Amino acid sequence: MLHDAVEENVATITGAVPRRRRRVSGRMWFGLAAVAALVFFLVRPQGPAATGPARPNPAIEMAAAMAEAPRVGTGGGNAALQPPVPHVIDPTIFRLAVRKIVLDPGHGGTDPGAMTGGLREKEITLDIAERVAAVLAAQDFVVVLTREGDETRSLQQRVDAANTAKGDVLVSIHVNSIPTEERRGVETYYLGAASDSRIERLAGAENSGSGYSLADFRHLLEGVYADVRHEESRRLAQAVQGRLFSALMHANPQIEDRGVKQAPFVVLVGTEMPSVLAEVACLSNKEDTLLLKQDSYRQQIAEALAAGVRGYAAARGAVTTLARRGAGAN
Amino acid sequence: MTKEKSSVLHLGIDLGTSRSSVSASNGQHHVVESYVGWPVDMVARKLIKKSVLFGHDALEARPMLDLHRPLERGLIKEGSQKDEQAVRELLQHLISLANPEGNQKVCAVIGVPAEAMRVSRQHLRNAVKGVADSLMIVSEPFAVAYGMDALLHTMIIDIGAGTTDFCVMNGRYPTDEDQRTLTNAGDSVDEQLVTLLRAKLPDAQFSIHMVRAWKEKFSFVGEPKGKVDVTVPVNGKPTVVDIAPEIQRACESLLPPIVETMLDLISRVEPEYQESVRHNIILAGGGSQIPNFAAALETALGEIGGGRVKAVDDPLFAGSNGSLAIAADAPESDWEKLPG
Repeated sequence: MLHDAVEENVATITGAVPRRRRRVSGRMWFGLAAVAALVFFLVRPQGPAATGPARPNPAIEMAAAMAEAPRVGTGGGNAALQPPVPHVIDPTIFRLAVRKIVLDPGHGGTDPGAMTGGLREKEITLDIAERVAAVLAAQDFVVVLTREGDETRSLQQRVDAANTAKGDVLVSIHVNSIPTEERRGVETYYLGAASDSRIERLAGAENSGSGYSLADFRHLLEGVYADVRHEESRRLAQAVQGRLFSALMHANPQIEDRGVKQAPFVVLVGTEMPSVLAEVACLSNKEDTLLLKQDSYRQQIAEALAAGVRGYAAARGAVTTLARRGAGAN
Repeated sequence: MTKEKSSVLHLGIDLGTSRSSVSASNGQHHVVESYVGWPVDMVARKLIKKSVLFGHDALEARPMLDLHRPLERGLIKEGSQKDEQAVRELLQHLISLANPEGNQKVCAVIGVPAEAMRVSRQHLRNAVKGVADSLMIVSEPFAVAYGMDALLHTMIIDIGAGTTDFCVMNGRYPTDEDQRTLTNAGDSVDEQLVTLLRAKLPDAQFSIHMVRAWKEKFSFVGEPKGKVDVTVPVNGKPTVVDIAPEIQRACESLLPPIVETMLDLISRVEPEYQESVRHNIILAGGGSQIPNFAAALETALGEIGGGRVKAVDDPLFAGSNGSLAIAADAPESDWEKLPG
């Protein structure tokens, strides 16, 4: 056992990636099969989303494949082929303004997302996104939406829209559905490996019909974890999550702070800006569903999201820049 | 050439987000809060009379210091040379506290949050380069398991400040699939407590250090046993406030994600060993001392057949003692492969 610990340290010193022993268990065979299934899954025509009360049937294959993907390019035992470890640049040296906000209302068109009691996730996310846009626009931010109506947008199209708009940050808005109905709360994700199987399933569900191939993913993920965007995304996620929880706890006293988490959502991988995915409520919870029917509660969510973006922007020194540039700057 | 045993000082170091400890083969044990501070200017230097302060001393003198807590959420704050320097200073301070003799070779095992091992292994190695003659870095939960000889069919849940690390021990060196990390930990409880208190007392003035101290003194989960009165300035006037409901809610925010992850990891253990693991769950780190926390986890285990959760007796030194045990057991030939 100690020999393995020493071997791992020696590998680090020499710049090689330690050779990790992995059990070839039933789960691993399942994982390998899942990767193969992913290829089929990604090339098949995009079908309509599921219509049950829960999310569309999770594409666990996607999550499994993506969990494997970061190892591609850093794996293997040949030290000579290892790229140098990238050194992360301290983002604070840039002091760049945050002016253009891309809002991504989850789902849409043929993909309703989670549904219950007459509520559909795609409608809630669009309504909240429009409210956030109004709040931010009034504060001199430039806002771009990845969809402006009940339109079907693949995740790749959303990513392309965000990148084409050259947004400074992206906030993807979703509504959660948790198997345990009594649970409710808000959680905010930034890009990283999923920390548990529930998040893997959630990422799988949200990633279904992404429009990306496995090869695209490998390319996208290489180096992403080490870049400035990763750390900035974490800060944005903390700002958004903090505002969401503190703003909603009055109207929703039983709300849980489900925290800032990491997961490999497609929309977070492909975008070229700090990006987060916020699950702003739980459609699987009856009380949350009742609250989501109220305009005032949706407005509170929207203002909290806007406040999170505003707080992040202020920390990045954007407020001064905005004031200097004036409204409508782009 | 094999060196005489007395010519080598073995050290076990627990490099934590909140506190760091050292256990040495010469019997020395020390713990310091993981703060490093440099005087901000000539005036501060004149007052402090030291080039760098550590732990509680640094915290006390923080207005005069460029204060760093170099680990955040289980990772070295990469990109900041100052934080890497703070890690080195902190380790050198811990080593000096162990009081090595001038001619002794220092062989150190440093336990770090599991996330740091996975995500920033190379940065970590660079940051600690040169602080000892030989260095080995291991994940903190593995060090705890090794020190307690809990290497087979056990689960370590190490609730630290920055992260909660899980590790299932299967009688071999843990792989990535045996380990999990959550950022729900002591710092997230602090942040939530701040949020709850600001909502309850919008005019009160308190710092994160005050909130952290209240949490460490009064934390609990389950039914409160009474009021938790603290004195806090409200519009400048010292005011006694009962914060028991907020403490309870903030501490209990740790339970859902930890229970979910614990149950998920158990479900991934080979079926014939799941019962053994359920009955051998060890709670380590500062969070292990939250009253009723182990009992709450046992209640959750009741849903899958029951189990036993035991908190370590000495959370301050469980990690560094485990690292020291690894240092003592590692053969000289292995140490020779590991430059400092």
